[in-house]
Amino acid sequence: MLSDEGEIARVARESYAWLAPHDPASAVRRATVERGRTRALLIGGTLLFLMLFLFIPLAAVFTEALRNGVGAYVQAIVQPEARSAIALTLLTAAVAVPLNLVFGIAASWLITRFEFRGKNLLSAMIDLPLAVSPVIAGMIYVLLFGEQGWFGGWLAAHHIKVVFAVPGIILATTFVTCPFIARELIPVMEAAGREEEEAALTLGANGWQMFFRITLPNVKWGLLYGLVICNARAMGEFGAVSVVSGHIRGLTNTMPLYVEILYNSYDFAASFAIASLLTLLALLTLAAKSLLARRARRASEASPVHQSVKPAA
Amino acid sequence: MSIEVTHIRKSFGSFVALDDVTLAIPTGELVALLGPSGSGKTTLLRIIAGLEAPDAGLVRFDRAEATNLSARDRNVGFVFQHYALFRHMTVFENVAFGLRVRPRRLRPSEQKIRARVQELLGLVQLDWAGERLPSQLSGGQRQRVALARALAVEPRVLLLDEPFGALDAKVREELRRWLRRLHDELHITSVFVTHDQEEALEVANKVVVLNNGRIEQAGTPDELYHHPATPFVYNFLGNVNLFHGRVSDGRIYVRGVPIAVNGHELASADGKSAAVYVRPHLLEIHLTPQGENSFPATVSHINAAGPTVKVELISQWGDQLHAEVDHERFRELGLEPETVVHLSPRENRVFIQA
Repeated sequence: MLSDEGEIARVARESYAWLAPHDPASAVRRATVERGRTRALLIGGTLLFLMLFLFIPLAAVFTEALRNGVGAYVQAIVQPEARSAIALTLLTAAVAVPLNLVFGIAASWLITRFEFRGKNLLSAMIDLPLAVSPVIAGMIYVLLFGEQGWFGGWLAAHHIKVVFAVPGIILATTFVTCPFIARELIPVMEAAGREEEEAALTLGANGWQMFFRITLPNVKWGLLYGLVICNARAMGEFGAVSVVSGHIRGLTNTMPLYVEILYNSYDFAASFAIASLLTLLALLTLAAKSLLARRARRASEASPVHQSVKPAA
Repeated sequence: MSIEVTHIRKSFGSFVALDDVTLAIPTGELVALLGPSGSGKTTLLRIIAGLEAPDAGLVRFDRAEATNLSARDRNVGFVFQHYALFRHMTVFENVAFGLRVRPRRLRPSEQKIRARVQELLGLVQLDWAGERLPSQLSGGQRQRVALARALAVEPRVLLLDEPFGALDAKVREELRRWLRRLHDELHITSVFVTHDQEEALEVANKVVVLNNGRIEQAGTPDELYHHPATPFVYNFLGNVNLFHGRVSDGRIYVRGVPIAVNGHELASADGKSAAVYVRPHLLEIHLTPQGENSFPATVSHINAAGPTVKVELISQWGDQLHAEVDHERFRELGLEPETVVHLSPRENRVFIQA
């Protein structure tokens, strides 16, 4: 902490030492590298923050989950209601993620490869699910497909149940996760450029050959990255799903909803056991994410576009 | 194969890239599209390739209409300025791509593909690089891979977009001589885009000069250099000195000083303004006045490094002028900065302005 004005002045002096022309050591040092005390302060502060908000809660999840021993932990996971929640979560992700994969590729293709009226609007609309609260996303589907909703009567007449049933959960999840793949893909496709695709065309490739042999390999790391993030969100979504689910145990409960139900019925160990599965998923996602980000960066460094193209003399 | 474009127009938003361009390229020619940036030369090349659709006008290959043919059906080889090599494929696979994407009944056997790729890599002197990735090659090598890849599909036309633009001067000179030789061997109709007049004049049989989306002049390098049709062409092909003057009594006066003009009919142009162009090596330097045929100027800078000596001067009315003399004449004159000399244009080109 900066205790007094003298201290502040000293830190400031050190921070801007690179400006002083008479200090020969500072000339060698990179201008953006902070000096000793400031650095310690920054690192310490960051670590403290991570401790308080990440490591301790993370550890708490696993300790609480295993409080009653490994037997109880396994018991909590394999009981029918838990298994059905896990199955529904997997099913939801298995439908929502491929849907968004197709949508994401189509949307980013459209936005990066074509000029058309309303392009900016489309680009903004893709972000809409990020901007609205997930609860509202759930409400939209209740409003449309619920019993009192716009299509409610028609659906009831045909004995189709959307809200408070699996289709509603999948719809809400798809809506909430729809920006993730497109958002990752658009900048990567932009950077890859059109030239290689044009080259493929002039060499006689048809549209599919161009897409699968040229476009896709060029954006694959960005695409996988988007898939991982999209999947994580699809499995972890709470708000939107909560509104359309109806919380029917064994039928319309996903893992996050089941965690809440267990918690509210004071079954803490079981609640944390399921939560630990979601946490594991998050950790795996993080690992995959950083791995993929590194691969993507390496791929873009190796691309001819970013290599030292000598300027025309 | 011959290429014909007629009355091509193309705009991007409010920018007119091509404005009624008509051009015929006979079979086997090596043609340069030359012009400053924004002149429409690359757009014209992309329209020929089918990568861009014209707003109006026709493209014909061998007299057959091709305007609505897609790029993949035109069978043209296109070489991009930044190579556009497939970065995730080896050099070998890059060259093989055009053969591998053919429909099954037209696709050569794996053995034939290998033989063809090896042959092409040999042609571009890169037979050792087949297993490399494009990122492991230098710019000049990448451009040769791009050329081999384009030739693999046996295109009827070869189109090159600023093929040497991204290379340094030495490699560029080597590559353009090499392209010239390659064309002499293969006789494939080729069109390349360049903004470098030296490159265009050296490599092409025929040069088309474009400016503001229009063709200024098309002809052999010799015709263009010695008989430029417009002031723009004169200006664009090589260094030039420009004098603005007014025609009076069959002579041209530049701020009151008469400029000698050889063999031009000026009688009918009385009172009109005129632009007089003189190439630097045709602007003679004398130490003494040459009667009415010379005007004084002061030497401002001398560059004697090179086959000729380049002299920069400032005319008595304040214009920057360039002259070139050989080393022998330079020593005879004993020029130094601040020397006052007398200039007489030996040959020049006059454009009367309406």
